[in-house]
Parts: sequence; C-alpha cells; structure tokens
Amino acid sequence: MLTKKGKYGLKALVHLARMPAGQLAFVGDIATGNNIPKKFLDAILGELRNAGFVQSRKGKDGGYRLARPADEIKVGHVVRVLDGPLAPIPCASRTQYQRCEDCNEATCQVRHLMLEVRQAIAEVLDQRSLAEMRDIAFDDLPVAGDIGDLAVAVKIQA
Amino acid sequence: MSGRANSIIVVGGGASGVVLAAHLLKSANPDLRVTLIEKRPHFGQGIAYSTLLSAHVLNVSAAGMSAYADDPGNFWRWLQERGLASPNQAPVYAPRSVYARYLKELLDDLEARERETGRLRLIREESLSITPTASGVEVALANGTSVVAHLAVLATGHDEQPALGHAVRMGSEADTALDPDRSVMVLGTGLSMVDAFLALEQRGHRGEIVAVSRRGLLPSPHRKGNPIKLDVADIPLGTQLSYFVGWFRDLIRENQKAGIDWRDVVDGLRPFNQKIWQNWPASAKRRFVEHTKAWWDIHRHRMAPEVYARVTEAVQSGRIRLVAGRVVGIAPGEAFTVDVQSRHSQLVETFEVARIYDCSGIVRDISTSSNSVVRSLVDRGLARPDPLRIGLDVSANCEIIASDGTVSAKILAVGPLTRGTFFEIDAIPDIRVQCARLSKRLLG
Repeated sequence: MLTKKGKYGLKALVHLARMPAGQLAFVGDIATGNNIPKKFLDAILGELRNAGFVQSRKGKDGGYRLARPADEIKVGHVVRVLDGPLAPIPCASRTQYQRCEDCNEATCQVRHLMLEVRQAIAEVLDQRSLAEMRDIAFDDLPVAGDIGDLAVAVKIQA
Repeated sequence: MSGRANSIIVVGGGASGVVLAAHLLKSANPDLRVTLIEKRPHFGQGIAYSTLLSAHVLNVSAAGMSAYADDPGNFWRWLQERGLASPNQAPVYAPRSVYARYLKELLDDLEARERETGRLRLIREESLSITPTASGVEVALANGTSVVAHLAVLATGHDEQPALGHAVRMGSEADTALDPDRSVMVLGTGLSMVDAFLALEQRGHRGEIVAVSRRGLLPSPHRKGNPIKLDVADIPLGTQLSYFVGWFRDLIRENQKAGIDWRDVVDGLRPFNQKIWQNWPASAKRRFVEHTKAWWDIHRHRMAPEVYARVTEAVQSGRIRLVAGRVVGIAPGEAFTVDVQSRHSQLVETFEVARIYDCSGIVRDISTSSNSVVRSLVDRGLARPDPLRIGLDVSANCEIIASDGTVSAKILAVGPLTRGTFFEIDAIPDIRVQCARLSKRLLG
C-alpha cells in the first residue's frame, strides 16, 4: 500500500526533478508547493538521502537536489525505501510479513492472490522513472481495457 | 521466419559455448546453422573443466549443474544413469573432469542427431577476428580460412591473461618441477588458491604454502539447505550500496534469529542478483567491486564440505598460512624474497619462496585481453570495455556495444565476458539461463 509517506516522498522527488540540473530546492518551498507538513518532509528527505536518491547542502543556501538523473531513479526504488516491500495488503510480503489475526496464511486465498498482485505492482513501478512521472500529461490518463493497453505493457513488449 | 538470423557462429567451444549451442539447437528451424569454434583439442572443457585431478571437484552440487535451463535435473540424472551417484545421496560434488565428460557426451549426442540435418558444425581452430559484413559477419581463423554467418556470439569464457609479475599459473608451462620441501606463495586465498593447494598436495608437495590476499579470507563451505523465498517486491533496488548492505545484513540477522542458516539467505537472493546489479547506480557498482565483493564472494561462492575440511585442516596444521596483506616487493634470485605488508599491523614480513603462483582471479583491463578476437574488436572500436572494465560492454540482450555507443545487431556475447552487465555470470546455473533467453530471442 502506498502510504502518505510514500506519496509525499514521490511528490517531493517530482518537485526536485523539475528543478534545473544541479540547482537546489528549499525544503520550505517543497513543503508548501506540495502541501506536505514540513517536519514530516524533513524526515522523508533524510531517508531518501540515506538511500542515495537525493543530496543535501546545509546552511543559508542549503537545500536538496536529486543525486542522480531523474530517468535513472525508478518509482519502485523510492517506494520500497519509504514504505518497505511493495505489497497491496500487509500480509503479502516475504520479508516483512505481518500476520492477520483472523487468517491462516497457508490457506488464505486472498493472500495468495495478493502475492501475485505485488509482482504486477513491481512490474509497473520498476519500469517507471521519476522523469516519466514528472512528464505525465493530465489529459492522457490511461484508460486501459486490459494490461496490454498500458504504457508499461507496451514497453515490456518492445 | 523471414528476417531471422539462421546462421550463427559461436566463438569458443568451452562450457558456455556448448551450453549455448545446445540451447540454439532446441529450435525446430530446419534452416538453422550453428558453427562452434574451439581452439583447444577438446570441446566443452575450456579452462574450468580441463583439470584431470579428481580432487578438483565442482563448486556447485550436481543438482545445480544441468546444461539446460528448462531441465535442471539433467546432469544429476546423467550421473545416476552412469552409476556415479545414487538417488538419495547427500549433495554430490562431482569431479570437474566428469563434468567435462558430461558436456562432451552432450555435444556428441547433438552432433549425431544433427548429422542428417547439417545444422551443427564443429571447427577445431583458433579464431582471430570477427568482422561485420553487409550480410552478416566473417570470422577469420588461424589457418587462414574464414567462416561467415548472419551473426556471431562470443563465448570465450575466462580470460587467460599472463600471470602477474614473477608469478606463474598453476599447471602452465612455467610451472616446472619443484623441490617438494620448499615454501611456495599463492597470490589469492579464494577458490583458485584452494585448487592450487589440492594440486600441490597431489604432487606430494610438503613445503609451506603462504596464501596472500587483501583480507586473507577463505571461502565458506556448502551446507545442505533451503534457500529462503523472496520476491522482487521485497528487495530494495537502485539504492546506494551502504543502504542495500544494511538491508541485507538485517535480513540475515532476522533469519538467523528464526534458526535459518545465512547460506539460505544468500542463496535466496540469487535469482535477483542480476536485477539488483543492473539497478544499482554506477557508484554502487564501483564500490561493490572495490570493497564489498571480497566479502560477498566468500559467502556466495562456496566449496564442497569435504574440500573445506581438507583446507581448514591444512590451515590448522600450518601447511597453509593465510596472510591478510599486500605484496610490496619481490626480489628474484635462487629463491624469491617477497615482502608482504600486513593489512592489520602495517608491518612488513619477508618470505623466502621457491615459486609464486598467481591465483588472484583479478580481471585486469579487458582491452589488454589475451584473446585475439576480443582484443581486435576493442582495437577496431567494434567493442568497448564496460564502465568497470571487467568485461565487454553489452546490452541486456547480450549485444556488444561499440566505442561510439552503437549496439551491434550481429555480434553478441555470453558468459564471463558479459559480467559488467550480468554481474554473476561465471557459473553454469547462470550461464544456462542467459543462453536460454538469448536462444529464444534469436530463434523464437
């Protein structure tokens, strides 16, 4: 599940991906521009720095910028760092498995299906870069009859 | 089928060349022509499987050594059919010479099967160069003739670069008879050092073996286990190295708390190793090769438990001395006087040894490769080293990349040459998957 933390992190990174190359963005500007509580944003940017997606400079002219080109950073990379293993429900994970009180995980059909769903999530998020997310035009939101109509599916076939 | 490449030359008939040919010939295409070229007298051996010593066993158990990606039990069944293993036996680490026989028989079978069709041709000759032509490629041979095809795949395996400085390669011409009581030095403490130790034992060598590497670490032994289950959705991709290593150490720790052996965690990651590598930024790849690889290798590339027992026994009895440090000076003479600076104390210790063996396994710059085909491709700008210079730069589809960045549609590569892109691509379990994918892409 994409948490608020994951969503805010992605918005902050898209903000940075819009900056001219090498230029730093102020944390305050990112926060107000994207409606993110500043304290929360500080924590998120700290984690993104530890993972190597952003660089920071301290001081009066300080701020954040992307550590690598926006087309190299995949959305899936970022979500795993902020939200942990990609999973539609908490029990559908191998490493951070959270037991459901009311189910037997060995026989739960919902979990089995959701383990499959997470592969599809990874497939989509690991192919989409920050640069692509930044350049999404709002008038061509995908209306897909099946997965073959999605932009990622076209790429898989290519 | 129109527009498809029907004729393919495989340059190099060692293990990876034979495995590739076997996968290509699975195609039903009657017009397919596969030409396998090997300079050694025997196909299927290469450097890896040419040893005749029975103590030189495979570093992967027989259950993992099938030549076919879609038939993992192929080698295991072959062993049983010949009475070389029994069904309920613990993991079997077969001698490498037996594996060479397996590949030879596999190729013999293919040759017999394709005799009528003419789809397979074997050439025992050294290849000198590959040149793209209007309609395909031309491979020049050392006997002055040449072979043409639609495309060529390099399967030249490990580079046989000359030994470092005064050192010699085990089993080479320079490795002449030696006084069995003299000390020798081995550069490297990994699996090649273990091979050298076993060969020295076999020869009746009694003198001390001083094995030197930066960290002086010995590879770990295999143990029967069950790799943990992971999905790609669980694994952090594209982060810096320290973040990934932190995650992996935590994962091992958590599993150990649950009573699971670290090997099962290391092996559970294996299906994703290429993906992890390919998603890392260049800085993480470089740091990994410089700092983390030595640590990774001793956990990931393990040896048969019986071999490990012999090596550790030799270390305990003083027959092998492991030294963490680096060679800072070599003075040749009747014996070599070698100065080694300790990694820990920084003190320099001097050793007198009768011979120095190069088992460092270091991949030096690929542009100085001893293989004339590889070198000539790089010299003419048709290929270029990967950013880390550990192999040739190739696309995710195994196509070689020219010095100007052009991706070749006619010259491809498999196996260790592609490690810059495919990371761990030295062992059969990985090479067979690469060959299966490539065959499918080329021939459908």
